[in-house]
Amino acid sequence: MHTMTSRERFMAALNGQSVDRLPVISVCQHATYDQMEQLNSAWPDAFHDAKLMAKLASGGQSILGFDAVRVPFCQTHEAEAFGAVLKYGGKLGLPSVDIHPYHIGDTIDFPADFLSKGRIPALLEAIRILKRDVGDQVIVMGGIIGAFSIASLLFGVTDYLKASFKKPSDLVPYIELCERAGTTLAKAMIEAGADVIVVEDMVASMDMISPKIYRTLAWEYEKDQVEALSVPTIIHICGKTDPIIVDIAKTGCAAISVETTVNIPKALENLQSEGLTTPLIGGVDPVKTLFTGQPEDVKYEVRNAIAEGLSMISPGCSVPPATRTANLRAMVDTAKEYQA
Amino acid sequence: MSQAILDQLKEGVVNYDEEAVITAANEALAQEMDAHSAIFDGLVPGMVEVGRLYEEQEYFVPEMLMCADAMYAGLNILKPHMKKKEGSANGVVVMGVVQGDVHDIGKNIVRMMFDASGFEVHDLGRDVPLDKFVEEQLKTDSNLVCLSAMMTTTMVGMKEIIEKIKEKNPKCKIMIGGAPVTEDIASRWGADGYARDANNALKDAINMISSLKSIS
Repeated sequence: MHTMTSRERFMAALNGQSVDRLPVISVCQHATYDQMEQLNSAWPDAFHDAKLMAKLASGGQSILGFDAVRVPFCQTHEAEAFGAVLKYGGKLGLPSVDIHPYHIGDTIDFPADFLSKGRIPALLEAIRILKRDVGDQVIVMGGIIGAFSIASLLFGVTDYLKASFKKPSDLVPYIELCERAGTTLAKAMIEAGADVIVVEDMVASMDMISPKIYRTLAWEYEKDQVEALSVPTIIHICGKTDPIIVDIAKTGCAAISVETTVNIPKALENLQSEGLTTPLIGGVDPVKTLFTGQPEDVKYEVRNAIAEGLSMISPGCSVPPATRTANLRAMVDTAKEYQA
Repeated sequence: MSQAILDQLKEGVVNYDEEAVITAANEALAQEMDAHSAIFDGLVPGMVEVGRLYEEQEYFVPEMLMCADAMYAGLNILKPHMKKKEGSANGVVVMGVVQGDVHDIGKNIVRMMFDASGFEVHDLGRDVPLDKFVEEQLKTDSNLVCLSAMMTTTMVGMKEIIEKIKEKNPKCKIMIGGAPVTEDIASRWGADGYARDANNALKDAINMISSLKSIS
């Protein structure tokens, strides 16, 4: 087989076609201090400045050798646009929501000029730059946050989760609003040049909610979002998503990103028995293997992931920024051992 | 008679029924039941059962949070009546969620168990700067520090905190917890205990309290 370009390889893997080797990407954030130093583009400036953001994200290709690049690094753009007050983590950490802007019961209007709020313009500009500079070689991924998860940031997760159990119907209007926010952002990202949209719905994790609440309050909005977008959508949910893997696939998403705690052969079997061919992405534990392990440990996990039937290799969740480049590169090196 | 009240306390916690717990707690006081026993033989077994239901995926975090509310409703009534020395672990604990991380559910559940056991709790809250843990440990001379993180990007700050605290006070026990934490990482980083989720944190906290109790 001829050597595919990153773009061909990524799209073929999403479509279930044969590939010269598995694509290696990172579905979630993977900026590291190493890349920041080499590229001379560091946090916190790279959260605000489109050029620096794009430069740091380009390390996914130029330094790590991945088949895709992605922005943003944090999970706070939509919430910020709704008025959440952020706290920055300086050079070392990601911004987080410091003050949740609303209480459950409040009337919330969709922010007019949503796309010009906070750091969204910089994020969109970074996608334009990435598309221009590396978009002919690698896939440009734009990351948004799932509706169920954005809504948790508006109120604070404790009150939100209790309400999700006691009176889920109270939350519906808010989640609808957040779905609109994510979809609006995703469409603007596509217009700016994003080839693929990643939806991180981290609060819809089984570490947080039951399959029942997932089906009532998260699933429908993921599905609406997937249907509204003109490019392939990858859904990422943290933790053991085994009980809902078939549901996620039924949103119609192009692929599912899973953590290493998910039983891959069983998940594939469950999908197959429903006639679903949704590719699974993952295989590498970001903390145990990438952050604390050695390149040999990474190789072992990637080989295992390939044997288990994953369609793309990726860390199962966000990469700790202090992770060494050698470990991330080992993902690509191992995938290349299988080059046809 | 008193067993019936203990059962009501336990069931009230399990069924996240705050009203039932409040009624049972008041009844316990009316009958001059030992407050310590009402907490440890009523409320705490309820929370242990909640942990079991969580483990079996019958309960999830929302249920656990509501059970915690019910337990606090009981604690607020019973704790002022606990005799000073009795049952108190005489422990001091510093706890918080590490810098950059705002996920405090697990930490709050663990805090509740410490509150219940009469610990002096210094809760630093969420998104706590790394040095603050070290400072607070020194200031309070706590026997225990609990660090929590839910994100793969924030948990790595724990390593530095553990090193700094152990350097200054090797006797202080450190427990770390949160979804990305593993036993392997806890031991590599020199922590004395670890808990992956709220349920394990609950169990671990109970174990740790009983072990400290037996020392004091």
